Amino acid sequence: MLQDSAPRVPFARLVLRNGGTAIIGKLALVAGALALTACGSNTAREIRVVGSSTVYPFTTAVAEAFVNQDGGRKAPVVESIGTGGGIARFCAGVGWEYPDIANASRQMKKSEYALCQRNGVGEILQVQIGIDGVAIAEAKKGPGLHLSKRDLYLALAASPYGRPNRARMWRDVNPALPALPIQIMGPPSTSGTRDALVELILAPGCTAVDPEAKALKAQTSQAAFDERCKRIRDDGVYIDKGENDNLIVQGLSANPNALGVFGYSYLEENADRLEGAPIDGVVPSAQTIASGQYPGARPLYLYVKKRHLRAVPGLADFLALYSTMWSPNGRLASRGLIAAPEDVRAQAAQVIAQRRALKPAELH
Amino acid sequence: MNNARATQSTQAQERAPTDWKTVAMQRRIRKRYRAERRFRFFGIAAVVLSAAFLAFLLVTMVAQGWRGFTRTEIMLPIDFPASGMMVERAQLDTAGADLALAGAGLENAVKSAAAAAFGPGGESYISDNAWVSVRKAIKHDASVLDRKTQMRVPASSEVDQAMAGRGTSEILAAVAKLKNAGLVSRHLNLDFLKVSDSTDPVAVGIWGALKGSLLTMFVTFLIAFPVGVLSAIYLEEYAPRNRWTDLIEVSINNLAAVPSIIFGLLGLAVFLGSWSLFGYRVGPLLPRSAALVGGLTLALMIMPVIVIASRNAIKAVPPSIRDAALGIGASPIQVVFHHVLPLAMPGILTGTIIGMARALGETAPLLLIGMRAFIVTPPGGLTDPATVLPVQIFLWSDEVSRGFVEKTSAAIIVLLVFLLAMNGLAIYLRNKFETRW
Repeated sequence: MLQDSAPRVPFARLVLRNGGTAIIGKLALVAGALALTACGSNTAREIRVVGSSTVYPFTTAVAEAFVNQDGGRKAPVVESIGTGGGIARFCAGVGWEYPDIANASRQMKKSEYALCQRNGVGEILQVQIGIDGVAIAEAKKGPGLHLSKRDLYLALAASPYGRPNRARMWRDVNPALPALPIQIMGPPSTSGTRDALVELILAPGCTAVDPEAKALKAQTSQAAFDERCKRIRDDGVYIDKGENDNLIVQGLSANPNALGVFGYSYLEENADRLEGAPIDGVVPSAQTIASGQYPGARPLYLYVKKRHLRAVPGLADFLALYSTMWSPNGRLASRGLIAAPEDVRAQAAQVIAQRRALKPAELH
Repeated sequence: MNNARATQSTQAQERAPTDWKTVAMQRRIRKRYRAERRFRFFGIAAVVLSAAFLAFLLVTMVAQGWRGFTRTEIMLPIDFPASGMMVERAQLDTAGADLALAGAGLENAVKSAAAAAFGPGGESYISDNAWVSVRKAIKHDASVLDRKTQMRVPASSEVDQAMAGRGTSEILAAVAKLKNAGLVSRHLNLDFLKVSDSTDPVAVGIWGALKGSLLTMFVTFLIAFPVGVLSAIYLEEYAPRNRWTDLIEVSINNLAAVPSIIFGLLGLAVFLGSWSLFGYRVGPLLPRSAALVGGLTLALMIMPVIVIASRNAIKAVPPSIRDAALGIGASPIQVVFHHVLPLAMPGILTGTIIGMARALGETAPLLLIGMRAFIVTPPGGLTDPATVLPVQIFLWSDEVSRGFVEKTSAAIIVLLVFLLAMNGLAIYLRNKFETRW
């Protein structure tokens, strides 16, 4: 059994070392002590995880295995609030009231890393736990659309070629497609899944069809490029179903002509009702996503506060347990996680074992 | 005076008596009867419609939910001596038993036993948590480690769905074969009432959320009841009638109608927020996701409801009772606590329990203060992270795995039974203490 042998650091000292958030004086110490006594023994606080709804099923599975290993451990608390919201809470500071881990279905942005640094979070570990596909799927009895990134961009963007999008039928987008109304159900703008849809499918589709897009991307200000290529239309064609991916699955069963956007694990779980729509001729499957052939493949991450590793009991064990479960025949694979290639897994395990902090240059 | 009465009577004499037999009058009478019948019909239709909605809700919930109280179990033969597990017997009686058995590779031993019994791929027939129930059996009776034995363990979600006729043709065929051999069957699952959340629908339980609800309601009652009732007594019995008390009354009535999410934001800001005071950072006062914070937030929400109900109940106590008590020399405080409050109690309790029932079904404010998390163990105390029943229902409805559908319905049944018990208590208390004048 792995035991964290490093000496524990009480949270109060963490805050003391962290000059960035607050000027520490006697009053804050008194208030902190009061807050600590009010909450019982916060030095032995449980592990707290926030973030992506796509990573949630995997982190909860690890949390469960973590408690099953030893019933005496405090159960980790996992909240699903979306990648953006999760990283914002994660980056709010260090101390007992802030989460230890952020689940993310995309890489942390440079601006988010800067926020973390402003709030004195300090060193962060970036652990890739596996790969997920942004699956575009339809009901089994659906029309069987074969789409390209270009079609999806023209169907979903708010202003393709800089003009308001008036396409209502798939035929308006591509004459080879049937005359069916475009209806796409997906997650809200706080979702990492939607960010991935934009980054992996819409933006490449945009640069492929629109010659001006390349010029816009080369500009120092990305605002015009984002407006042209990344903004999703809000005239009812893209139907925002909230962070509840089951609602999208139900919506597809009720409306076979619609398409749904969600994490690949939902497609796999509902394989008897749904089927993936091929993009550029590639059907989403475990193989095509792992090999990177499927355009909607994206890595999933955990972000961990290095300072909390020593303050929160069991956090290091939790991460070590995570790394034993993400292999291709591990427990997480049966929950729909697609294992990362072997070298990526080895690298991630190394980050955990050596507590190697993320360098800002690694973000893009 | 006399004059006026005289003119009135002459007028009455001058008016011809109503002739009920004329056609116009008969028509008018028929019209009135028709209106009467129509009104009764609409009344009955309204009752039938609401009863039908209720019946539909209950029937669908029970029809879907009863399966949630059962689970599919599979008979698993295990040969412990042959599994090569090394376990120190002395450790099994200590607190380290869980870790010792987990470390000895029990999970893999159970999986390979399943593969040996059900053929290749057989390990997918048993639940991921099956080894936990084997571990429980070993801790109960360590002698099973020395022999070959059979144990009923929870089956996997796929087998469970296949029992209901859902799944791929291979798993359906495999389960049919197991069923014919009598190895797989459904049983009442009392663990559902004893354990907490899990990622595996076969292993989930409602106890964590139920306990969280009980703790939250305990805090809510402890704060809202005394504060609400005391404010009502002061406002009704002591407060002078002036602009200030009018303002307070209007504010309380307004607060009772404020959407619950606003109270969630208030709770988030007050109990979990941090402030900068003279350059020092203060707060958060309480830990996130705790039943204590949930209870305080919901107490803020239902306090106005309790104040209004209590004031009405106190108002309904006849003034003669107060006058009589004052008349024989009782002090104002004796009047209130010996006479007015006991007589008003049924109304106060009914109002309180209806407020508590509303708090029990509330989700929105609790989502904001972090009581929406996945937690594997039930809360140990007021400051431990917890969820409550309606939030648990919300979380399960969002789960990927399909086995959660029936568990969601089962959780709704538990919530409805809890609500029914609270409302039953309200009716019982009202009947027990009610006095008629």
